[in-house]
Amino acid sequence: MANNANAGLRITTNERDFIEAAIKEDHRIDGRTPFDYRKLHIKFLREDGSVEVQLGQTRVLAVVKGEITQPYPDRGNEGSLAIYTEFSPMGDPAFELGRPSEMAVELGRIIDRGLRESRAVDTESLCILSGRSVWAIRVDIHILDNYGNLVDAANLAALAALLSYRRPECTVGGEDGQQVIVHPPEVREPVGLIIHHIPIAVTFAFFGDGNFQVLDPSLKEEEVMGGRITITINSQGEICAVQKGGGVGVSASELMRCIRIASSKAQSITETLKKAVEVHEIERAQRKIRRHRNLPTEIEAEVEMEEAPEVPEAPMASEPTEPEQAMDTERDINDERMSDATQLESNEIKNADAQVKKSSRAAGEKDIFAGGESAWGDDAKLTPLKGAPGTRSSFFPLDSDALVEFDVAAKAVLRGGVSSQRMSSKVVSAPLQRQISGQIAAAAVYANQSSAHIAEEARSLGPIFPRVADMDSTEGIVSVEGTEAELGVLGNSTLETELVNQSEDKPLNFLSSGKKKAKKRKSGGVRQN
Amino acid sequence: MTAMEEEGAPPSLDVSQRTDGRSASQLRPLQCSRGLLARAHGSATWSQESTTVMAAVYGPKPAAMRKENAERAVVEIIWRAKNGLPGSYEKEAEVVVRRSLEFIILTALHPNTAISVILQVISDDGSLLACAINAACAALVDAGIPLNGLLTAVGCGVTHDGQVFLDPTKLEEQKSKAFVCLVFPSRPLSAVSGLPADVDGEPFEHGILTSVTHGAMEVDEYFTCVENGRAATAKIAEFSRNSIERSQKRVSGAV
Repeated sequence: MANNANAGLRITTNERDFIEAAIKEDHRIDGRTPFDYRKLHIKFLREDGSVEVQLGQTRVLAVVKGEITQPYPDRGNEGSLAIYTEFSPMGDPAFELGRPSEMAVELGRIIDRGLRESRAVDTESLCILSGRSVWAIRVDIHILDNYGNLVDAANLAALAALLSYRRPECTVGGEDGQQVIVHPPEVREPVGLIIHHIPIAVTFAFFGDGNFQVLDPSLKEEEVMGGRITITINSQGEICAVQKGGGVGVSASELMRCIRIASSKAQSITETLKKAVEVHEIERAQRKIRRHRNLPTEIEAEVEMEEAPEVPEAPMASEPTEPEQAMDTERDINDERMSDATQLESNEIKNADAQVKKSSRAAGEKDIFAGGESAWGDDAKLTPLKGAPGTRSSFFPLDSDALVEFDVAAKAVLRGGVSSQRMSSKVVSAPLQRQISGQIAAAAVYANQSSAHIAEEARSLGPIFPRVADMDSTEGIVSVEGTEAELGVLGNSTLETELVNQSEDKPLNFLSSGKKKAKKRKSGGVRQN
Repeated sequence: MTAMEEEGAPPSLDVSQRTDGRSASQLRPLQCSRGLLARAHGSATWSQESTTVMAAVYGPKPAAMRKENAERAVVEIIWRAKNGLPGSYEKEAEVVVRRSLEFIILTALHPNTAISVILQVISDDGSLLACAINAACAALVDAGIPLNGLLTAVGCGVTHDGQVFLDPTKLEEQKSKAFVCLVFPSRPLSAVSGLPADVDGEPFEHGILTSVTHGAMEVDEYFTCVENGRAATAKIAEFSRNSIERSQKRVSGAV
């Protein structure tokens, strides 16, 4: 039975028999076991809300856009979320422009039910003026390459795009209090959407009389299969949607087994997705901090999921963070943030310092800003500040990467989406993480809700981060040494100096030196490993 | 310039201080990868830093009855914007790209067939049409469609005070007085031998194949754009050719 009326792919009888016979013996034509997912690769593009997901050779691009419209009359308090899936002929020669085929409609509906009807995306927070202005979020899903199981890939792409999307912040003002003011991203940090849970779509294909199931069917398996089921389930084990449209009948016990497998797969995919989002957030924050340096940096946050027992490893190159380099970055961070009027003087001093080369820094010049000595600096002698919030007895010097982490975490907390406890990043050591989460609570107190520049407010009251006491710190510092290497690992962050030194897979990045030499040739087609 | 005029003039772009540190005649970093898609006969992604377009080529394949031509292959272009419903911009872009590609594709070799090029905008940061044409060209090469040359496209902008600069970003396009997309042929390698290298004494590469302007500019400014664009396309063509040669070597080396 041709579930996939795919004019582009003609499968021979021999292939069909072979695939079916192999599955009956628990073999699949691409070497996977029956309940293995293909390699998953989530790539966040530079723009917020654009994600490309690769599941094996299936590629899907999801783009999220928001605009302000009038709400539906019966739902004046809610914004809207709409999923658009138009299959372009790019992904499959059988896809034709014009009216969406039933496959396209079905895919759109499954994703819609999983995301919208299960209330994964909070629509009430999208309301600006009740009954007048709300945010309408639109997700466009483009199928770049159809190699089987579009539903799972498209769902994941939509989720990742929604998680990484940032809408401009807007406030209500004007004389009558009815005017909506949209703040451009340069003025106010855009805010993310509130996502309550993450529904993952898991698709099984049935063969034979329904007694053989495989997970994540590839293109040829889809041609041969007798039926399929998609289960949209989140990591808490809540089923958001089940779609079994026709096809061969399956016994209830087999179905329950599939649901159990789906539940465990959903958990691991959710972990992968969350990790990818975090890495992306961190490099995004890094990019913002370094923006003024006028250097384009190619950063792609990519996380790959290995099947089964291996811990998913993000391909991150560890770089030695030169202390001097970190210094400059920190200084620049300070320069960037300090726009507070009272800080102007020290700002000027800092600016002057920043021009001077590292030698003066190494000589032990201290930054002078309200509250005392600077807390960032590997070589600075730091003493605990009395009365500083959350002062504890053993601390770690926080370098620029930890600062970024903090910033990201703090922003996330301010957005109200993530609690500080859930901010778990594997690259941060446990004691550092506890410290950070404590400071996040403090930061939230200091910070102004509408402003994302938390550091300003915090700075005026003194440095948030407690200082390292010389005597107590030996252990602390030693333990951090190990983690600092990890801290330096975030994303494929290319420091200012390391532009050309990238792994073969990454695009060469050349700079304003005028050389336009970059070329990159990905090895064609299949990604091995 | 009176004070009033200055007030009325839109914010001018300072070409010597572009936000990404480039000079007026500097292009953004180029990046081209081919053979990414498994289903398409040929595919390529072309990036000019933040502007990325993915092109997929299917063909020659049987054409729809009403469209087929008994003498030549029909070239069809589908332009997919990043989001939203297709509008007039997409239609116009499709026509421009189609006419440009029809110049290089040897359509007479495949009558009664269709060659479709699907362009997907991945991200748009200025010079989109140029990026798309470059991507389409690379995808055609990847698909093995016989061509009588390659195309190189570049974007060029003119500021309000008459300065010409290359490869505008989206912000620069919005702030400039006018910008133009120029496409030049580049023909060192061709499937058809014996084609004249010169036309009326001018090298073949100097001919403008396609020019799409937005906004009004002076005639001199336009010619300056063409000069600059021509010089830039020499570099782009070199990059493109090296990229193709390298991948061909890899393919033949593997065999």
